[in-house]
Amino acid sequence: MLRRVASQLFWTARNLERAEWRARLVNVNYHLLVESPAGAIEGWTPLLAITGDLDLYVTLYETPAEQSVLEFFTLDDANPSSIRRCIGYARENCRALRNCISSEMWAEINSLYLDANGWTYDTLQAAGIFEFFQDLRNRFYLVSGIVESTMPRGAAYDFLTIGRTLEAAENVTRMLDAKYHFLLPHPDDVGSQLDLQQWAAVLRSASALEAYIGTFGNAMNIEHVVDFLLFDKSFPRAARYSIDRLDAALERVASGGKEGASQIPTARTLASRLRSGSAPGVIKDGLHEYLLGIQDDCAKIGGELFAKYLRFE
Amino acid sequence: MATENARPTNSMPPVSAAYHPAEGAFDEMFRPDGSARPECSAVTEAVFGRGVDELSKIHASAERMLLRSGVTFNVYGESAGAERIFPFDVVPRAIDSPTWATLESGLIQRVKALNAFVADVYGEGNILKDGIVPRDLIMDSSQYRRGAIGIAPPHGVFITVAGIDLVRDAAGNFCVLEDNVRTPSGVSYVIENRLMLARLMPDLLRECRVKSVERYLADLLESLAELAPAGIDHPTIALLTPGPYNSAFFEHVFLSQRMGIELVEGRDLVCMDHKLWMKTVYGPKRVHVLYRRIDDDFLDPVVFRPDSMLGVSGLTAAMHAGAVTVANGIGTGVADDKAVFAYTPQMIRYYLGEQPIIPIVDTHLLREHDVRAKVLLNLDRYVVKPTGASGGYGVVIGPRASDEELAKLRTVIERDPKGFIAQPMITLSTHPTLVTQNGGAPKLAPRHVDLRPFVLMGAKPRVLAGGLTRVALREGTLIVNSSQGGGSKDTWVLEAPC
Repeated sequence: MLRRVASQLFWTARNLERAEWRARLVNVNYHLLVESPAGAIEGWTPLLAITGDLDLYVTLYETPAEQSVLEFFTLDDANPSSIRRCIGYARENCRALRNCISSEMWAEINSLYLDANGWTYDTLQAAGIFEFFQDLRNRFYLVSGIVESTMPRGAAYDFLTIGRTLEAAENVTRMLDAKYHFLLPHPDDVGSQLDLQQWAAVLRSASALEAYIGTFGNAMNIEHVVDFLLFDKSFPRAARYSIDRLDAALERVASGGKEGASQIPTARTLASRLRSGSAPGVIKDGLHEYLLGIQDDCAKIGGELFAKYLRFE
Repeated sequence: MATENARPTNSMPPVSAAYHPAEGAFDEMFRPDGSARPECSAVTEAVFGRGVDELSKIHASAERMLLRSGVTFNVYGESAGAERIFPFDVVPRAIDSPTWATLESGLIQRVKALNAFVADVYGEGNILKDGIVPRDLIMDSSQYRRGAIGIAPPHGVFITVAGIDLVRDAAGNFCVLEDNVRTPSGVSYVIENRLMLARLMPDLLRECRVKSVERYLADLLESLAELAPAGIDHPTIALLTPGPYNSAFFEHVFLSQRMGIELVEGRDLVCMDHKLWMKTVYGPKRVHVLYRRIDDDFLDPVVFRPDSMLGVSGLTAAMHAGAVTVANGIGTGVADDKAVFAYTPQMIRYYLGEQPIIPIVDTHLLREHDVRAKVLLNLDRYVVKPTGASGGYGVVIGPRASDEELAKLRTVIERDPKGFIAQPMITLSTHPTLVTQNGGAPKLAPRHVDLRPFVLMGAKPRVLAGGLTRVALREGTLIVNSSQGGGSKDTWVLEAPC
């Protein structure tokens, strides 16, 4: 496989995953706003903190009004991580990749792109904010489903998996971090009704609420939520699950090159760290630092991948 | 045994009564008296039998399919990445079996001669020494490439893929309008158009017994494999594209995908030890045959344009070393230069000792003083083309040009007479085409068409059955290029006489 092609597959998957997370986050925040008593939470600002976009946002807009934030996340071409831009990147990459992806995958991403090009704020409103983002998330599920059911398990599938799982792991840690640190206006609110409601929202944005209840029952408990989203070995959006899949894909890529073990050491060590992690321990030692550690490792994995497989110019 | 008489033309459904062939042009389905031409009357009856409403529905489905599946081309001069579908007309164009047999031998004859010419120009130069083609015409050609001297490709093949543009004159005779032997495009539309009609009107295709066009992919792959450097049994073949912003990018993807070869950009390649390699995740891998779809100028910054980001440094040296075959070869453009075109009948006689099977459109070289004087007197009767350009760019159609345009053209010609040729205006043949004018009801109306067959040269020649029929969708216009608002039709070569 060409290094450029591997790189384009990786970035296609990352951008789609990123866009999917944006759609999830926006939807859940909208939920939270609707369900919370007026003034209880700070509107849309926390979402900008979660995605790390606050600095860019303030250069483009005056206030975090609902319309501006939704436009920023969904439509704004000045935001390199807006849903429309991410879909655009993915589609541009796929155009050059049509030799190694299924025609169904191309057709769906192309459709998504053509639709996204036609979006305006009116489109969002006409559909209803909740329905719009829910439908959008389902479009991403459709793309994932097409990938799963049409792509042979080979190098192309592996590089898509690598991009997707890396982005997913980063997103879930970011979301946890933001909830843990930024969302509550006062430290006194820890354990309050609002706090628990927010944890439930975090789970919901990862489509994890039912799975969490199935594992831990319906009581919201910080340790359990952290345990589930970081260390669960079977939930698709848990950090450990993502990094396990990443590591396995790297292993397959390495064996394709007759190199035996994975050539990306940081993925190895991160996977084993997540396998042995436990929520009480990391909360005691500082959850924020732990999450930052995972994010640093994800960045390092990106660098190692680039040097080993993706750099071509 | 059905005879022409046994097929009563009055059985034609009433829709054909509403079709009026254009005056002064050869209509490919109907005679001037309104009866269907017998050579392809089965197709005519079947198509007209569908009725305009059904054809319109099929047309709408076709456009939707094309857009959703991304069968598009990029338009230069519009915002980056502007994509359009290549408009498609659902009325197929049929060519009967005996006519095609003649065309096929004529095309093979022609491409053999053009290839021999390229080999000669960069080799011994006999045709120049013998004074058949003037030496300065070649040396002055913008397509002459000194770097090609001495390259000896396998089987002596320089022109692997040729697209020969044919037109039918007012009497219905096929003649050659121009040759394309650099990086001719359009074949992906031929195959996609067929695929689409096969989905939308399957019974019609079966009834009419149409020759397959799908074979082209296997033929091209075999031709490329046959041209691998000596001693390479299982060559690695790659298609070199300028990238997603090129107007023909869809075709590059399509061909590489369907042939199962790598689609590479210049940045995927590197030359080391006079060999060509591609950069894979597991390290460099040899490339033995490069089907390039970028121009000479951009191919190798060491030899050609040093600012090119699209090519790969050292490629020409690797070709000289015989380690890689590049198809088409470097410098083949000398053979499709529009001034050289005037000498192509002589080339056929010179290299093959045969009479040309397909005539060419009269071509006047404006570099010659007397010819120029004569043409300039009646500039409004000629089509004037720049010698080095392709794609319909820079063409002026005298009878349609304003006085102002003609005056400007005259100045340009006088400043650079070697840069232009003139041809008489050919009224291209017409073909029934589904059109909707000014938001009115759709109808079948005559529109001008040409034909670009594709000829492949590997160890032996191979010809795609039919080719790309381009149709000028705007009423009256004769320019069929996709970059100038033309569309395409599926071209049916019939297996046996109707």
